[in-house]
Amino acid sequence: MSDIAVAAPAPSRLRRGAVRALKAVAPFAVLAIAWQTASLFFPPILFPSLGDIAKNILTILTTWDMLSQGLITFARMMFAVMLSLLIGVPIGLAMGLWRGADDFLRPIIKFIMGVPALNWVIIVVIWFSNVELRIAFVLVMLCVPITAFCVYDGVRSIDRKLTDMVLSFGASRAQYIRLLLWPFVKSFAFTATKLNIGNAVRTVIVAELVGASFGIGRELDLAKNVFDMAMVLAWTLIMVAVAIMMTHGVEALERIVLRWRGDHHDRT
Amino acid sequence: MSEQSPVKIRVEKAKKSFIQKSGGAVEAIRELTFDVADNEYVAIVGPTGAGKSVLFDCLLGLKSLDGGRITIDGEPVEKFIRKKGRIARIFQEDRLLPWLTATDNVALGLQIQGVPEAERRERAREWLRAVGLGTFTEALPSEMSGGMRQRTNIARAFATGPEIILLDEAFSALDEITAMRLRSDFRALARRQKMTFLIVTHSIDEAIYLGTRILVFGAPARLVHQIAVPEGASDSPAEVDRIRSEIRHWISVSGRDASTAA
Repeated sequence: MSDIAVAAPAPSRLRRGAVRALKAVAPFAVLAIAWQTASLFFPPILFPSLGDIAKNILTILTTWDMLSQGLITFARMMFAVMLSLLIGVPIGLAMGLWRGADDFLRPIIKFIMGVPALNWVIIVVIWFSNVELRIAFVLVMLCVPITAFCVYDGVRSIDRKLTDMVLSFGASRAQYIRLLLWPFVKSFAFTATKLNIGNAVRTVIVAELVGASFGIGRELDLAKNVFDMAMVLAWTLIMVAVAIMMTHGVEALERIVLRWRGDHHDRT
Repeated sequence: MSEQSPVKIRVEKAKKSFIQKSGGAVEAIRELTFDVADNEYVAIVGPTGAGKSVLFDCLLGLKSLDGGRITIDGEPVEKFIRKKGRIARIFQEDRLLPWLTATDNVALGLQIQGVPEAERRERAREWLRAVGLGTFTEALPSEMSGGMRQRTNIARAFATGPEIILLDEAFSALDEITAMRLRSDFRALARRQKMTFLIVTHSIDEAIYLGTRILVFGAPARLVHQIAVPEGASDSPAEVDRIRSEIRHWISVSGRDASTAA
């Protein structure tokens, strides 16, 4: 009897897993079928076949000259996201901890946040001659405000009772930050990083399109000039895949660093 | 208060008010005066909003008085607390840091005192064993029951070796059976450690069980009455009834005073 009781849930779990996988794949399958159908009726310049796109993806992944362009763009994004953390976290902490810093920095951060990405690209083209500096500057300007505001929200949402507890042991300001504030705010820094990956993927190409000699932006520019839609889509799909992988990587790190939180889905 | 014991805590004509956002002032402590002897167990009962927690904040130096003074061992509280860990507070909620294990939570006060890691972890494990959590040293708060978390909270307070422990409705959030066990364990630990403690509670029975003296506060915090609790009083139903009636009488008197004042 106990054997039956233990064995019974297995097929049900399997079935649930299969249904979940089907639900995840179904929208993309429908989209792919629609695209392939369209490719039969329209010229490749508008709707290249899935086979052509796949061939281009394979070419990119197996040709070092092309693959290295992707890696350069990936490195630029990683650098910008990390730099944004290094700059944004202290700004967010300062804003959350000190009223004076909040009053002074908040308007500046809001102002920077209001500038569209394309405007930053034009500004940096005039300001800087170095391409790497241009790209890094644009990405950092877009990512730092998000990091700063996420961390600021973290500081503001800390439980007052925990603060009282730590202070009742006579903690200094530095101990308060190290023992309570930073461990609590870390989860908000992870959220900012995930948001910034999406931000960086959307912006890096725009920044690379203007004057970069290397990177996916440059490759897309070349493909555009010869109306190679299959190559444009191949790079686009690779960019999406990279963004998803980076987000998964951050989530995996988050699960290790913040393992005390557990997975809230497990409790539901 | 025993006549032989020296005064540990002296509160003299303490006054504390707060300014509300609306601009009005709220009086939390009014001309409060009382003494606590060394190794004495004092329970404080009174209506909600009687400024009892504010008094604890002042005893810890987290808030300063508007008037009057608090001295501990004859020196101003601000000077007494300069050496960390001499006063510990046990809150109503466990207030454990969710990312730390039971050992690291108990060691937190020691870490703030600057005790080296190996030593503080060893002392934390000893205290966890003392409160019956020897097999849960590496458990996270999310893996423990409410009673276990409160035991960890108690261990954390004792671990720093304080001279005074302040219990802020420390057992009120627990079910009665768990609360009974914890009160008993706490009393045994406090006696063993020879320390002074003050407990704020809404439970008259808890005050009788833990206190050697009970202070009845009015709102705002002021001393309305005090009752000495004879040794073993909590084991005598007649004595418990007598003290209970006396406390109820004085709480109702303080309530009438408050309404008259208002």
